[in-house]
Amino acid sequence: MSQYRFVRGGLKTVAVLGVAALTGLIGLGTAHAQKTVKVGISLPLTGADAEDALHIKNGAVMAFDEANAAGTIPGYKIDIVVYDSGTATAGQYDPAQAATNTKKLVADPAVVANVGPQMSGEGKAMAPILSEANLATITPSSTNPDITNPAMAAQFKPKGKAIYFRTVTTDAYQGPNMANWMHDKLKIKSVYVLDDSGAYGVGIADSFQKQAEKIGIKILGRDQLNPKEADYTTVLTKIKALKPDALYYGGVGQAGVKLAKQAYDVVPNMIKAGGDGMQGQAILKGVGFPAVEGWYCTNASPHTTESPEAADWVKRYQAKFNNAPYDDYTITSYDAALVVIDAIKRVVATGAAPNRDNVRDAMQTAKVKTIQGELSFDPNGDLLTKVVSVFQYHENKAGPADNLDVQAPYIGVAPETPQS
Amino acid sequence: MGFFDVLLQQVINGVSLGAMYALLALGFTMVYGIIELINFAHFNVFMVGSFVGLWVFEAMGFSGQSEVLYGLPLIGVLLAGLVVVMLATGFLGVAIERIALRPLRGVSGTAPMITTIGVSYILFNLVLLTVGANTLNYANPLPKVSWDIGQATLRLREVLLWVVSFALMLGLHYFVRYTKMGKAMQATAQDQEAARMMGVDVDRVVVMAFFLGSALAGAAGMIFGLYYNYTSFIIGYTAGLRAFTAAVLGGIGNIPGAMLGGVLIGLIESLGGQYLEVRWTDVIIFSILVLVLVFRPAGLFGRAAPSKS
Repeated sequence: MSQYRFVRGGLKTVAVLGVAALTGLIGLGTAHAQKTVKVGISLPLTGADAEDALHIKNGAVMAFDEANAAGTIPGYKIDIVVYDSGTATAGQYDPAQAATNTKKLVADPAVVANVGPQMSGEGKAMAPILSEANLATITPSSTNPDITNPAMAAQFKPKGKAIYFRTVTTDAYQGPNMANWMHDKLKIKSVYVLDDSGAYGVGIADSFQKQAEKIGIKILGRDQLNPKEADYTTVLTKIKALKPDALYYGGVGQAGVKLAKQAYDVVPNMIKAGGDGMQGQAILKGVGFPAVEGWYCTNASPHTTESPEAADWVKRYQAKFNNAPYDDYTITSYDAALVVIDAIKRVVATGAAPNRDNVRDAMQTAKVKTIQGELSFDPNGDLLTKVVSVFQYHENKAGPADNLDVQAPYIGVAPETPQS
Repeated sequence: MGFFDVLLQQVINGVSLGAMYALLALGFTMVYGIIELINFAHFNVFMVGSFVGLWVFEAMGFSGQSEVLYGLPLIGVLLAGLVVVMLATGFLGVAIERIALRPLRGVSGTAPMITTIGVSYILFNLVLLTVGANTLNYANPLPKVSWDIGQATLRLREVLLWVVSFALMLGLHYFVRYTKMGKAMQATAQDQEAARMMGVDVDRVVVMAFFLGSALAGAAGMIFGLYYNYTSFIIGYTAGLRAFTAAVLGGIGNIPGAMLGGVLIGLIESLGGQYLEVRWTDVIIFSILVLVLVFRPAGLFGRAAPSKS
């Protein structure tokens, strides 16, 4: 009996070893056949921007995973390297951390492109480093126009070639178009402008203010919020006393959440609007109803989540990420990854090994079919299509509480010139 | 809104801010008065207090600002919240003293102060890692009641903030002045050695100072949440620095000085924001800190206890 057992045990060991050896060989075989390229994803995954950054990350990861599974790029597999540009000390995105991460990306020669950043403050820190290495990034949400402005090329792309592509338009359109829309639809005659001292916030508030003045809206004042400060009742009291028709806030969630909460107490009936910094889960959840009710906000992209082109995408997204929330910037991020995948694919199709230079050049000449339509870039890296969408928070108790399409419905496109 | 309405409104805003800074400044000042240690962990005990408050209200079934209470049930819920928060942060303060600072008692130089900075970062990161970085909507049972004075508005939450702060400060004042423990604290502040020789249990006094200071910081944290309807892991930073400035302005170690310093800083913040620009507020406040340190290092109201050196 004991001998029989021994024999069986021995056979088993041999069998296991054999199978292990075989799978090992197969494993080695595939590893040899398929080469890898690395693509970075750098987003502020810590701090006040983390939740929306996570959905942006999901969008890009989904596109890369799908491409790997479908073998979109013959012979190559894309490896994703994720960097977190948010820090606890900043409490939100941290430009210094973004710069450090970019240096790490640049130091790895296998990295051929990057998706990100979320915020323009990060982008300003990253662009010069990317330019030195000729490593292209494509941002799904950063909208400050300076980074791709040819007049500021010495600062942001010292090596000359465009390395900062976008799947959204810039605040050169987002702020002014919203001023036009508020002038046309809300008939505002005066406005008070606030920003959050960040690169994005100051930029969009400036461009909004400039256009508002140009079309005859009176600027009753302009002030700057410290995003780490808790109390904005002082400035809101000042605004209340000036009685503007509307309040426009340029900035992201860290100051935005507190501003919206306190504005609900101090100036509940005033028209309040912001840019894409006021659009997203951080605002929806952090401010909550009733305080966020009535706020207008914009996106620097077409509204796609409810479009027929996105219907199948939404199903795949929800299946993959366990019904996680998404918004238009999850789709612009998916689209950004599609641009990168397409560029690598076209490089591989020519027979060349993908590297930074040829992937960047391929992105420059892209004509990619994405969910928001066909995307191409001008020589600065900006999108040729420029659409700004307007939304308004409006509580819908019957619908899912974390669905932006339901709780902040789309209400139209902000025009490039005033219509009335 | 006329000039005086705006002024009145900003004074209301400023005193509310100031009351919160004062509660927070008291903890700094008490600990400094007794063991001459600036306790930087205090900032984040305040932050932890506001989260404990949030959890307590959530455990009682509140979420967001949708459910409100009136009258006695409201007072009951708030008192229950306050007691739980103050006990929790009080014991957190005692734990910090026992674990991190007592082993360093008697070590000269900056080691204990640096340790408190370390503890502060530990609390900060613990909260960041466990509850995440999002700004959280505060569960708040306060109804949206307000009164108009001219065109200025006085809200219920401001009244609540004043009443709670004033009651706690008054309680602390009487405790320090008239109870045996309070007298022991005063004695220890004046001269630790002599107090010990007179039979004062100095360890107990120090523990008590940490307990009371941290409990007040916790109360301030809960009030912060109710007042602003939000909390986040980062709130200790700005409020803490302002409160520290308030304590220095009033004369660090001086309890009534900390209260007045807090209200002064609050008023400077709101009136500076109104008549200058909001972005200059920090510049003004910290210039005052520097000026006080240079020209009146003992603060506007001086130290209550004579210096030991």
